[in-house]
Amino acid sequence: MTTTAPAFTHSNPIHIAPLVRWLLVAVAFIGYGLVFVYVKNQQHQLGQATRVVERQIAEERATNEVLLARITTLSSRAALQRKLQQGEIALKPIAQNSIAMLTPPAEAGDDGILRTAAMDPIRP
Amino acid sequence: MRLKTRHRAVIACACAGVLFTGFSARLVYLQVGKHEEFTAAAAQKHSMKETIVARRGLITDRGGEVLAANVPVRKVILDSTHVAKPGELARLAAPYLDIDEATLEKEMRSGTRYRVLSRTLAEEKAAELRRKMSDASLRGLYFREETTRSYPNRTMLSHVLGFLGRKDLNAESTIGIEGIERSMEHELCGQDGFRHIERDRTGLEIVVYRGAEQAPRNGNTVELTIDMGLQAILEAELDTAFSELKPTTATAVIADPHTGEILAMASRPTFDPEFLGESKDEEKKNRAIMDVLEPGSTFKIVVASAALNERVVNDKTKIFCENGSFFYGGRILKDVHGYGQMGVFDILVKSSNIGSAKMALMLGEDKYYEYVRGFGFGEKTGVNLPGEVAGILQPPQRWDKLTITRMPMGHAIAVTPLQLTMAMSVIANGGKLMRPQIVRAVRDPSGDIIHSVKPEVVREVIPQETARFVSSALAAVTRQGGTARLADVPGFSVAGKTGTAQKVDPKGGYAPGEYVVSFIGYLPAEDPAFVCLVLIDDAKVTGGLNYGGVLAAPVFARIAEKSARYMNLVPTMKAEAVLPVAFNQNGTQAAGTER
Repeated sequence: MTTTAPAFTHSNPIHIAPLVRWLLVAVAFIGYGLVFVYVKNQQHQLGQATRVVERQIAEERATNEVLLARITTLSSRAALQRKLQQGEIALKPIAQNSIAMLTPPAEAGDDGILRTAAMDPIRP
Repeated sequence: MRLKTRHRAVIACACAGVLFTGFSARLVYLQVGKHEEFTAAAAQKHSMKETIVARRGLITDRGGEVLAANVPVRKVILDSTHVAKPGELARLAAPYLDIDEATLEKEMRSGTRYRVLSRTLAEEKAAELRRKMSDASLRGLYFREETTRSYPNRTMLSHVLGFLGRKDLNAESTIGIEGIERSMEHELCGQDGFRHIERDRTGLEIVVYRGAEQAPRNGNTVELTIDMGLQAILEAELDTAFSELKPTTATAVIADPHTGEILAMASRPTFDPEFLGESKDEEKKNRAIMDVLEPGSTFKIVVASAALNERVVNDKTKIFCENGSFFYGGRILKDVHGYGQMGVFDILVKSSNIGSAKMALMLGEDKYYEYVRGFGFGEKTGVNLPGEVAGILQPPQRWDKLTITRMPMGHAIAVTPLQLTMAMSVIANGGKLMRPQIVRAVRDPSGDIIHSVKPEVVREVIPQETARFVSSALAAVTRQGGTARLADVPGFSVAGKTGTAQKVDPKGGYAPGEYVVSFIGYLPAEDPAFVCLVLIDDAKVTGGLNYGGVLAAPVFARIAEKSARYMNLVPTMKAEAVLPVAFNQNGTQAAGTER
């Protein structure tokens, strides 16, 4: 009677090739997924950055408009008249030789009167 | 035993299969069957249509001076469902929003998703509050872009510019309520844009999911015919007259008689459009187009023009002025001074009521009425300002026997100051009734002209020769012997007419001692550069001074003199010094005040 080693008829050999293939497919899927998530995150971050820049532009524009409105108010006729009355600014006469006349100057008559000044000085 | 195990496995698998099939079916039902419903629900929760507010157009004068501008502000909106720390946020925000801290905290705990806490938070304050909220990691307040209207000249020209307001208390945006802001609303308002956006659960926009977007179209700039240099002159003199004479109201207008352009327009009392709450409704009225009054003797230009044009009189015709007392229709009509025979020229210069009444009688009711209408009375002038009234002019069928003698001297008719100005422009420009213009051009936001307004002749009322004759008589009104010596402007020939009318008593008849006095004139009389009306209602002076030639004429003279200098008009005649009248309360009358 001879004894022989038991045969492994139901063994589970590891098939490397398909395993690698599936692993590659899985890695590829995971990779695609991660890239998708990464790109999506980047897109969101870019969106956030866009929003921040938009807000900064809007704020700058608003500040600009506020300043323009302030300049308009400060340089308005009413404001200038008020400053003139309060003595904060003064009107300085321009020298005759510094004026370029577009219409010929009218000459005074024999009495030297061209036209009166405003009647204010002699009003009660 | 083996069978039992297999049986169990089959049942378990079947149960799992049925369960997952159920899940799958439910999934398909939710994803496919209910797709529209849930998409809409999700969109409603996270998506919104964000309005991009268009900037309102500017209003400028003819020289480009800005009269109405925009100031960016923020509307602060509370979403209390986003507030995690109500107490902390209320403490931080209360000083900025000008709301009591306890009240604000209560609002923040109310669960409301939309509550406007402030409509006009200044831009710099909003930026500071937002920064502090960000530093403290607080949220729940949102800052929406808005603008408020700014009127740099405050009360100056306020009646013409008007103001903005909300259609009703719940209205989101403002619209023009009065003045140019209202009449030119369609040009000024622009068109808001929009953007479809999605927000995350914290309320922040997810920029990558932005949908359709439409840019706003900003409002156009409206350029007025107003010259702020002249406006400042007019308002300063009107203010002086208003404080010295203490009338109920005062109105003044300057217009270009050749084009119908209104160069300046003001009324007193006035208001500040930036502090509307502090002014009364009466102060907001543009009296140049909304008030009606009996014009008095200024109206005599109509009957004189009509009688000359219809050839019922000529420059040589003499009319007997009944020595100052004319009995007609059961009543006596009087002149201030008694006159005998007078020509049309002198009737205007001396302002004879009887002479004017007789000319109207010679014309007849229908013909006279035709001319009154021809000069633009009884109908709106069509100026581009809201609220204009047509005045009161009854047709001849409704006149009594006295009307034909009273209307020529400016009674039994009610006109607006602007109608009177345009009627005098007919004489000044050689016979044409012009449509008054207040808008000169409309420009797009980049400054290019979209359309400009051209002068419009409404009708030719009288021929040039008639206008010239009447004008020569009006020029004599301001010279020695005329009723408006104080309207004279040295260096220029001034044509004009005074008006003094007793005020109508609301209870009937005329109010004793109350007068509406006016002067309307133009210069240079030969080729007028402008027509100016000054109207003073119920000045608080002694009776002897309450005449157009005494109160309104000097105001006209000062406005005209400064305006002529401002417009660089070359004097047309040798200057003669004229003493001004003193506005005092004790009845002292200065030299040169014949009437």
